[in-house]
Amino acid sequence: MKVILEAIDLTKVYKVGKIEVPALKGVSLKVREGEFISIMGPSGCGKSTLLHTLGGLCQPTSGKIIIDGEEISSARDAVRTDIRRRKIGFVFQRFNLLPTLTAKGNLEIAREIYGNGRDDKDHIHQILTLLGLENKVRHKPSELSGGEQQRVAIARAIINKPSILLADEPTGNLDTENSQVVLAMLQELNRKFNQTIMMITHNPEAAAVANRLIEMRDGKIVPHEHDVSWDAAKEDKIYI
Amino acid sequence: MSQSIVLANIFHRPMRSLATILAVGLEVALILTIVGLTQGIVMDSAKRIEGIGADIILRPPGASFLMATSAAPMPIKISEALYAVKGVRYVTPVLTELNSQGGLDLIYGIDLPSFNEVSSGFIFRSGSEFQDPMDVIIDDIYAHSRKLKIGDHVTFLNHSFKVCGIVEHGKGSRIYLPIQTMQNLMGVVGRASLMYIKCHSKQDVPEVTKKLKELLPGYTVLRTEEFVSQMSSAINDMAALRYFINLVTFIAALVGFFVIFLAMYTTITERTREIGILKSLGASKGYVLAVFMKEALSLCLLGFLFGILLSFGGELLIRKIFPSLQIVLGLEWIFKAAVIAVVSASLGAFYPAIRAAAQDPIDALAYEV
Ligand SMILES: Nc1ncnc2c1ncn2[C@@H]1O[C@H](COP(=O)(O)OP(=O)(O)OP(=O)(O)O)[C@@H](O)[C@H]1O
Ligand SMILES: [Mg+2]
Repeated sequence: MKVILEAIDLTKVYKVGKIEVPALKGVSLKVREGEFISIMGPSGCGKSTLLHTLGGLCQPTSGKIIIDGEEISSARDAVRTDIRRRKIGFVFQRFNLLPTLTAKGNLEIAREIYGNGRDDKDHIHQILTLLGLENKVRHKPSELSGGEQQRVAIARAIINKPSILLADEPTGNLDTENSQVVLAMLQELNRKFNQTIMMITHNPEAAAVANRLIEMRDGKIVPHEHDVSWDAAKEDKIYI
Repeated sequence: MSQSIVLANIFHRPMRSLATILAVGLEVALILTIVGLTQGIVMDSAKRIEGIGADIILRPPGASFLMATSAAPMPIKISEALYAVKGVRYVTPVLTELNSQGGLDLIYGIDLPSFNEVSSGFIFRSGSEFQDPMDVIIDDIYAHSRKLKIGDHVTFLNHSFKVCGIVEHGKGSRIYLPIQTMQNLMGVVGRASLMYIKCHSKQDVPEVTKKLKELLPGYTVLRTEEFVSQMSSAINDMAALRYFINLVTFIAALVGFFVIFLAMYTTITERTREIGILKSLGASKGYVLAVFMKEALSLCLLGFLFGILLSFGGELLIRKIFPSLQIVLGLEWIFKAAVIAVVSASLGAFYPAIRAAAQDPIDALAYEV
């Protein structure tokens, strides 16, 4: 299957005053089209940093990231923004909807930023139906439950058909019931639309909906039996 | 680009938006009212000069356009020479002085018989012509605004005058004194500030103008229409007035600048996380900049419209309270006020908007209100 994202020996060092805080210490990975990956690891091990770097929200200190054939790691801010716009969808723990806009407004602004002339009404409708949001489009975030808000955020993240959906603890602020709904929906997106997903989670049950697990510790990926891409030698092994 | 997020932002903080709109409105109204008042005064006196009905206005060298007294008024004697010019029918000398008793009105010292000839006579609402050197004729608007009747005493040039006649407005001034009295009081016996000249027929005017220019080099000889049209632009010739208008405009623009600056600065601080969200969606710097510039300019536009309303409201009010004052709200200045409002708002919004656009997405997303 097509490799949609590749990271090679990523490092990221935060500078706090004169203190250097290493957050990523050489991370390499490959993500194939249609994969649903969950990332786990103790707090502070660099999961969010990895996701932000992969999605071009920040630049790695060293290393290389190639998304769908485009190198994003060394690109200027404007170019990273552009790649993010076209190829990345983000979902955050805090939902991050624009509070003054309705659910529909939040989707529309994503369409607008993406900037593709005509609206693909079918696609939007399909997404809204899948996420169970048909009746909520006119609501503002403050009028939606946490679960609903997160579903709108997911809809917004995938409305422009990104190459990869990056989700940072999408169920972290949700109760068990809503978490299950959101996870089920992510799974369905992955299956129905072949949406590639990388999801950070602290919850092993959540991680279980993915079809591949990446474990991180102290700024590195823990070598894993099932993770073929970790070891280039095992590259050609078939895996789900 | 989304109108909806711009509008949503504006409605999200209705009081702040309203306050911004009001302040921009005041900025615009301040400019329009001040300029309108000064132009109104000029236009008003221009209209009254037209109302005299003279064909030509003659002024000595160095006279200013608004016809405050010049340093060296011309001798009345030259009117004899003027009469000798072919085509001249009537000449009347007028001595002018700014009325220091409040208002910007010029007092006219007139020679009533010749003034009547040139202007074909006053229309008296009550009273009659000068009976005494210390008599004054006023127009109906002045009488009304000062609540004056025939026989009342008023002070001009530090002397008390008795109102002998109230005439219909529109003939040069609102206050007329006998020219000799005024000459004596001002210490310029036998002199006048200007001459109004009436020709036998309109056809004579160009020829007479030409002859007068030859006869009196250095003097300003203008047809009344020319004079009046030049007077309208005279504001620009008056350094002090121009300075005053510029100052008011500048202060108004400064108010607009700071109001928008503050509103946008607090807005972007408050919406830092939203900026992060937009950026995470792939919004470019230009997009974020445009969102906030549009918000500022929308507020500015609404403020401008409110300012126009306020100016017209103010005009009505001023007309009611001071019937002798006039405000001219010309399209030219409405346009200028719009430009000033837009420029000051753009400058005020630019720094906050640039800051918003330059936000680091991760920092912005982590921002806690
Ligand atoms: N902006 C920053 N400036 C300085 N240090 C940072 C910054 N962001 C993260 N770090 C540090 O980098 C390391 C990795 O942080 P990161 O947020 O990626 O961890 P995480 O795995 O997502 O943790 P959690 O599970 O708590 O979300 C931590 O030591 C953290 O303190
Ligand atoms: Mg994290």
